[in-house]
Amino acid sequence: MALFSVEHLSVSYARDGHVVPLLRDVRFELAAGAVYDLVGPSGAGKSTLLRACALMMERASGELYLDGAPSSSFTPSEWRRRVCLVPQRASLVAGTVRDNLRLPWTLKVNAGERPPADEAFARLLALAELADVELGRDVSQLSGGQAARVALLRAFATRPAVMLLDEVDAALDDESACAIGRLTRALVDERTTCLRIRHRAADGFASGSFVLRDGRLSYADNPGVSGDAGCARGFDPADYAALRDLEAERPRAVGEGARP
Amino acid sequence: MSDGVVGIGYVELFAASALMLVAGLVSWKLELGQTRRIAVSSVRCFVQLLAAGFLLTYLFEYQTWWLVGLVLAAMVVAATQIATSRVKNRIPGLALSVFLSLLVSSTAIGFIVVEGVIHADPWYNARQVIPIVGMIMGNAMSSVAVAVDRLFSDLDARADEMFSLVALGAMPGEAAAPSLKAAIGAGMTPVLANMSAAGIVTFPGMMTGQLLAGADPVAAAKYQIVVMLMLSAANTVAIVMASYLTYRKRFAPDGYYLDKGLRG
Repeated sequence: MALFSVEHLSVSYARDGHVVPLLRDVRFELAAGAVYDLVGPSGAGKSTLLRACALMMERASGELYLDGAPSSSFTPSEWRRRVCLVPQRASLVAGTVRDNLRLPWTLKVNAGERPPADEAFARLLALAELADVELGRDVSQLSGGQAARVALLRAFATRPAVMLLDEVDAALDDESACAIGRLTRALVDERTTCLRIRHRAADGFASGSFVLRDGRLSYADNPGVSGDAGCARGFDPADYAALRDLEAERPRAVGEGARP
Repeated sequence: MSDGVVGIGYVELFAASALMLVAGLVSWKLELGQTRRIAVSSVRCFVQLLAAGFLLTYLFEYQTWWLVGLVLAAMVVAATQIATSRVKNRIPGLALSVFLSLLVSSTAIGFIVVEGVIHADPWYNARQVIPIVGMIMGNAMSSVAVAVDRLFSDLDARADEMFSLVALGAMPGEAAAPSLKAAIGAGMTPVLANMSAAGIVTFPGMMTGQLLAGADPVAAAKYQIVVMLMLSAANTVAIVMASYLTYRKRFAPDGYYLDKGLRG
């Protein structure tokens, strides 16, 4: 069974008093352990699709399922705790890098959970080629690309089951983008899946690509996933053993957090 | 009228209007574009205050509890209209929230002061109730307008930040918290500043009035202390209520922020 699935999703929006359909009866599934790319012409509604998956957009119709449980059985914030969207313009709150990485644990949805230790955060930063960024550094002293990665790591550290990444590597140089691709791949295990909007050349991590055009979604398997292309060359999951630090941060299994 | 009150004749009253001509003339000469507003505001001030004078004369003579209540209700409606018209953002359902905030804050604090501190007799005595509640409401009205305006411009400025927060599982209240804090702070600044300046820089209107009417300065000071404390209390209640009643209107039922693109 697919980890995450979407049925009959339609989204439209009002512009100048007219209702413009953007997504028509979209359906797709994301299998655990796989990374998918979402491509399509700009304005096709890629970001809107991700927003709708995170319950951050009004749907005209459609139901979303996580591990077979419909989104209506979760409160919106519990759903978003598990299906985490990282927006294109992720912004950090004022304060230090540490404040930002710990931010999710200050929210009610994570009440009672303890944030990972500083060492775990430091190792995570190193995996994103941010080893030179201290946890105590004020975020105003980060470059654009560094801030984008801190915002991404903030979401990664909460170990969501579904990661929806909206062009998170747009502000990065090729090397950092590769590092993010590898880290994403390493985070996606048998209980995790990932859908990425990307405009860069294929990095060899995606097992398939969705194409969104004229409100419809089509899918093609990616034959070259075995891992000799681009950033995937030389990728070894063993290098990411530090991610085990974050094992305890996974949200409770589906059902435990559901509404009574 | 009490013996100390300085009476102003109608001749002097109209002569004082000449002062306003100075402002109008400056605005007209320098093409500040304020001439019309100055004229309208002056006329409104003139007509409304005189009308209030006559109305209060009648009210003090024939007062009943329901008549006083009716005047208070009219005051809340007018204050709501003025406060909402000062808010630049268009927010559906704003008027009702502002109305409730002003009604609750002004009448609750007003009656506590009138009954508990001044000991009005009868309890609805218009001579105390109307000016006290009016003073509170005038203040609360300005503060609510400042706070709500600040709240919604701050929310829009933080739209990206709130998007990230909500995507991480934040509730609307958690995402909006910094804006609520900023808005409530902005609304409270003027009344707190006035309290700090009172007696050194400014003699507040009520104390000035009593001094001009020949009251004992210490008695007038005591009155003014009560007034300032009640103003800040009512202000706080009004802006906290108005902010918390309105911020949720910018969030969808699913708890995400309705940014400019989604408001359509």
